[in-house]
Amino acid sequence: MTSATPAPASGVPVGPGLSMFDPLFIGIDEFGQPVYLDVIYRNILAAGEPGGGKSGLLNNIAGTAALCDNTRLVLFDAKLVELGPWRDIADEFVGLDIDHGLNVLRRLLVVASNRYAWLLAHRRRKLAPTDGLSVIVTIIDELAMFSTVLGTKAQQEEFSTLLRGLVSLGRACGMPVVAATQRPSWDIIPASLRDLFGYRAAFRCTSLNSSNIILGQGWAEQGYTASDISPTNQGAAYLLAEGGVPRRIKAAYLTDADIYNIADYAAWIRRPAGARLDLGLAA
Amino acid sequence: MSKSSPRRFAGKSTGTVTVIEARVHRSSARRAKLAFILTAVIVGVLAAVVAASYWHPIVALIVGALIGVPCGAAAWLLVRIWPVLQRLWWWATEIVLAVLLLTAWVQLANHTSTVVMLLVVALVVGVPAAIPPVRRQVKAWAWCLIVRHRLRVCFAQFIIANQSGSLPLILWARPTPVGERVWVYLRPGLSAKDLEGRLDKIAVTCHASTVLIERASETNAAYLRFDIKRREVLDARVNSPLVDQIDPTAPVSASPLTVPTALDLPDVDVPTITLPAQGKPAAKKPTNSANGSTPAADTSSAPDDDVSDWI
Repeated sequence: MTSATPAPASGVPVGPGLSMFDPLFIGIDEFGQPVYLDVIYRNILAAGEPGGGKSGLLNNIAGTAALCDNTRLVLFDAKLVELGPWRDIADEFVGLDIDHGLNVLRRLLVVASNRYAWLLAHRRRKLAPTDGLSVIVTIIDELAMFSTVLGTKAQQEEFSTLLRGLVSLGRACGMPVVAATQRPSWDIIPASLRDLFGYRAAFRCTSLNSSNIILGQGWAEQGYTASDISPTNQGAAYLLAEGGVPRRIKAAYLTDADIYNIADYAAWIRRPAGARLDLGLAA
Repeated sequence: MSKSSPRRFAGKSTGTVTVIEARVHRSSARRAKLAFILTAVIVGVLAAVVAASYWHPIVALIVGALIGVPCGAAAWLLVRIWPVLQRLWWWATEIVLAVLLLTAWVQLANHTSTVVMLLVVALVVGVPAAIPPVRRQVKAWAWCLIVRHRLRVCFAQFIIANQSGSLPLILWARPTPVGERVWVYLRPGLSAKDLEGRLDKIAVTCHASTVLIERASETNAAYLRFDIKRREVLDARVNSPLVDQIDPTAPVSASPLTVPTALDLPDVDVPTITLPAQGKPAAKKPTNSANGSTPAADTSSAPDDDVSDWI
């Protein structure tokens, strides 16, 4: 499986202008300056109470990834509607079937380990834009559904274990994970999994403790607590990027119509080559 | 200071002087004296050493003293008027602006008629006042001037820095969308941690909503950045640039979904309350009629990536 030439699969990206290797716009900070995230080499955990704006952030990332060149989407959404608009352009869309989710995670892990073998064979440690390998963005909405609600106990544990593997492996081989859940406490997802996420976005919480669980112990005491975000200010969050201090941001908002427009456009520019040819002949 | 202190014992104390100004004044006088002696001696000795290579050593000493004493006096004067110089520096921008404005006014008054003068003044004042972006810019820069003085008030009034009372250097300020950003260089005796506990008081003094402090330099802990916030931008809706990237006329290309019809509680029987098995589009379609016996979960999913879907 350590083939030297990554073969581009048919039917994936044709003409999008964006790249996942570029910083991704997610909103503005409290000084009105744009906030960009390097999603490619980072894992992001978004958490906060329902209606806080997590899905807005996820849709921003999914929308950008959808318009990016050589990028594949793997989506997990037990609520179906949040990431559902992207289901047609996603390589995998997992809804309520945890078995399907487990299979997808296993496949992703195999890809990740193969990529590392490929990198090793090329005397490298990290994927670069010039490698030609696709970026596989895994986005999970309502992580708690897969780790605590759906399937049997054993399946839930396996899901957490496989995801931990993907989160810890995916970073350098172009397979970032973006996950959202309401409260990432130890009974929802293992602390060992939570702590692997380098970037944290804490949307509104009801207590200091919840905010600390998302951002890390001690931040609330220093005044960085997502419980002081107004409930009416959806999309406002504390963003903790690696090594820094949390900063207040407001995630960009996409209306439902915007999301479907972007999804349609992304599907259009990602249409298989055969379809383009047919269309060209028909036109 | 206890009664048995050497100073008291030597009889130099003036008794019950506890006013701060007197102490500051005294320390200023002492520093001026010290500056005089140090400068006079150092400059005098240096001058004497240089002069000794040209003249007789005694002449050189006299020349050294003649040069050293005026230099010492200059140093003494500088230290004594230092507070005045400091204040002139603090208000330098305002002084320069006022001088420029007054000069322009006087020149205008001397060289033009009253009507022209009034017209010019009306234009200079009225145009920025009438154009909102210009007005906002002028106001923002005016706040930058004000906030530097307010920060100085904070440091002088309730952030006690060190024994000599030296204030941090308040460097430049510039407007931000939410207020102002001021760079400050701390003097010995203060740290960012000291200031973090007083941010609320600083905000009150600066007539602001909140104040944030961040280090402006990775290598120098004394170099800080104050962010003074007067307005909130996070309440606004942020639009995504993705919307501008797309062509909204792209054809709709959603794969067909099997839409479930059991959308109300009576439509679903007890045994079927299991989460539906999920194909690509998760869907559940009751096969029976509305009185609802066992609807079977329909796992047949849409065909994958049929080319005809795209056309």
